[in-house]
Amino acid sequence: MQNDLGVEPPRADRPDEPSRVDGGRRGALKVLCALGGAAYAGAIVVPAVKMLAPSSEGGAGAARWMRVCRLADLTEGEPRRVVVVGDERDAYTVTRDQLLGSIWLTKKGEGVTALSAVCPHLGCSIDLNADKKSFFCPCHTSRFSLAGAAEAGPSPRDMDPLTVRVVEGNVEVDFKLFRQGIAERKEVG
Amino acid sequence: MKLGDWLDERTGYRAIVRKLVEATVPGGARFAYAWGAALGFVLVLVAVTGVLMMTVYSPSATTAWASVSYLQQKVPGGWVVRGLHQFGAQAAIVLGVIHVGYAIVRGAYRKPREVTYWLSLALVGVIVVAALTGNPLRWDQRGFWGLRVETGIIGTVPVVGGVLQQLLLGGGTPGHMTLSRLYTLHTVVLPLLLGGIAAKHVWLSRKHGPALAKPADAVKSDRYFPTQAARDVIVALGALGVIVALTWMKHGAPLDAPADPTSDYPARPEWYFLALYEMRKPFPGKLELIATVVIPGLVAGYLFVLPLLDKKADRGVMKRLPLLVPVGLFGLAAGVLTFASMRTDAADAAFGKAVAKAEAQGAKSLVLAAEGVPPEGALAMLRNHPETRRVALFEQHCASCHRMGDLGPPQGKDTAPDLTGFGTKAWAKRVMEEPDHDTLFGKTPFKGEMPSMTKPPADPEAAAAFTAMKPEDLEAITDFLAAQAQGKKGEGMPGEKLVSQRCTSCHRLDGKTDDEDTLGPELRGWASVPWILAQIDDPGSGAAYPKGAMDPKLEGHMPAFKEKLSEKDRRLLAAFVQEQAGK
Repeated sequence: MQNDLGVEPPRADRPDEPSRVDGGRRGALKVLCALGGAAYAGAIVVPAVKMLAPSSEGGAGAARWMRVCRLADLTEGEPRRVVVVGDERDAYTVTRDQLLGSIWLTKKGEGVTALSAVCPHLGCSIDLNADKKSFFCPCHTSRFSLAGAAEAGPSPRDMDPLTVRVVEGNVEVDFKLFRQGIAERKEVG
Repeated sequence: MKLGDWLDERTGYRAIVRKLVEATVPGGARFAYAWGAALGFVLVLVAVTGVLMMTVYSPSATTAWASVSYLQQKVPGGWVVRGLHQFGAQAAIVLGVIHVGYAIVRGAYRKPREVTYWLSLALVGVIVVAALTGNPLRWDQRGFWGLRVETGIIGTVPVVGGVLQQLLLGGGTPGHMTLSRLYTLHTVVLPLLLGGIAAKHVWLSRKHGPALAKPADAVKSDRYFPTQAARDVIVALGALGVIVALTWMKHGAPLDAPADPTSDYPARPEWYFLALYEMRKPFPGKLELIATVVIPGLVAGYLFVLPLLDKKADRGVMKRLPLLVPVGLFGLAAGVLTFASMRTDAADAAFGKAVAKAEAQGAKSLVLAAEGVPPEGALAMLRNHPETRRVALFEQHCASCHRMGDLGPPQGKDTAPDLTGFGTKAWAKRVMEEPDHDTLFGKTPFKGEMPSMTKPPADPEAAAAFTAMKPEDLEAITDFLAAQAQGKKGEGMPGEKLVSQRCTSCHRLDGKTDDEDTLGPELRGWASVPWILAQIDDPGSGAAYPKGAMDPKLEGHMPAFKEKLSEKDRRLLAAFVQEQAGK
């Protein structure tokens, strides 16, 4: 080996065999390596799982009553789309008076029924057919009856009903969002 | 001593360079080998443009769209970088499929290249996932609705779907956390994975050399540099040409209006997913999993086990035909489905209309954003813009009683005067001719307050005493009123005198009236912005209608909005209604 610099002193030849370590000590060192590695991996994985795991369930369940329109604005038996306006909380920000979504209201006598306009299939926005006799989703052509029952297309369940009450002539709705694509109706926070 | 020698002594770089330069291509250089190299070039282009965009992009629901529109419109060369990145990514998908397709036809997946082949499959998979995580980062309508549907599909997968969906979204619904997570995946996790897979794939490809068509080819050999390298560069330049041309033609990459979860948007996947989208249509309800999970899973599974099925000694294409036919069918089906999907949409007029509306909204958003986006975000910017906001305000506060153009209650449900054309001469004339028409005051508590100027009253006695107003007088009065709506004083107009003589028994002119108990509104400034604003603020202020108009006995009269709406919103509405006078 050429070494013009000549700074480094010549090395002894490498021994053919690694130096001997007696059996018991060797075993202990192996265990130390395994435990140390596991501890390191744990220190990384445990907080990672804790941090990334879904924790949004907190928002679900609580009632969120929103005033959406006047009872007098509705026509008997004819669904009307109204927007839901409220405070929108998104992780670290809260924005006042945001459009949170839209719902379909139908007046029946003194009562009002409300259906979420979010398609239970994959979350597109459900529209009223031109003949006003059924709802449809423009994305994947699911069709629903005016009562919200799934009639055709890929939707795994009926349209999601929302609880409504009328307070002093104003329609109020308990606004909720649900998981999409599954037969079960499961609220999301 | 020279610097080169000094460095070589410490790093041994010359040996590495020599190894690269002297590398050979057994069987000779071929253009067919250049697809993989071109993919490498394109991935470098995508990586560099991606890092450049990271210097501008800001991943949060309020800033993402704004930062992308800033990049697109304001940052010099920003649109070019966006275009190269997006079309580069799409080119990478195409090149990846060609590269894998060639390996399959050639039988390059066979022993000992199984792992090399699997790595190339993984490469294409990661590129597609990178595209899926990249598109929603724009946080525009197309990206957002694509994400909604894609994560929705993930959510339908049994057992793990729900958790996976929430992991991706960082919560129940798309928002800030979704963008942070997608951004981390797209800019750190996936590129590292992609780089690792690509490096291992290239290393194994060099180790095993190209799969030769005939063993006899092995006697030929070319230097990699420059014989094969030149072919690589030529194909890579071809790909670059296409990418640059598309970037130029599309002026960068598309950017729709800001993501709006409450809108209806005609969501369609990117072109490379149209086949999957189309395939889903015939499967209703629960069977949909067949199209979204089972069939794609089977196709991927078949491609994966291909090396394990193909054990024949002969690698000729004809001998392996039974194994290749399914792959050909996959490709054919993908092509046919993509074409069918495009044709269905092209023939759908309603879809075309929705797309045009979405595009107009996108163009409008970009114009607004050019003046700066407020901290509440791009969606708030769009909604608070006068043009959008006044329509929303009218719909929310006025349209349950008043009609105005396209806005208003369902046909026949309006209970207050139709404001279409309010303030025009024609509107004033109609009020004088038939004030109690259903679309004027016929359904209001003011019905019967004003007599027609041209038709005799129903009461026979009054009818006998009735003389219709002369057409020229009607003309003069409506001229005067239309001038008022335009904000003119109209002093000295012939109609002014007629109004003061013939109308002030019930109406006011400059506050003067013969009978303070009547309900006729002020006619000076009628239908001008201040008059409409006064009416919106308080319909009993006297500035428009007198105090008596707010009498609780007049059930169904117009409510006051002074306490309900901000002054800015009331002014916006007044100006919106007054615009009718110009029509």
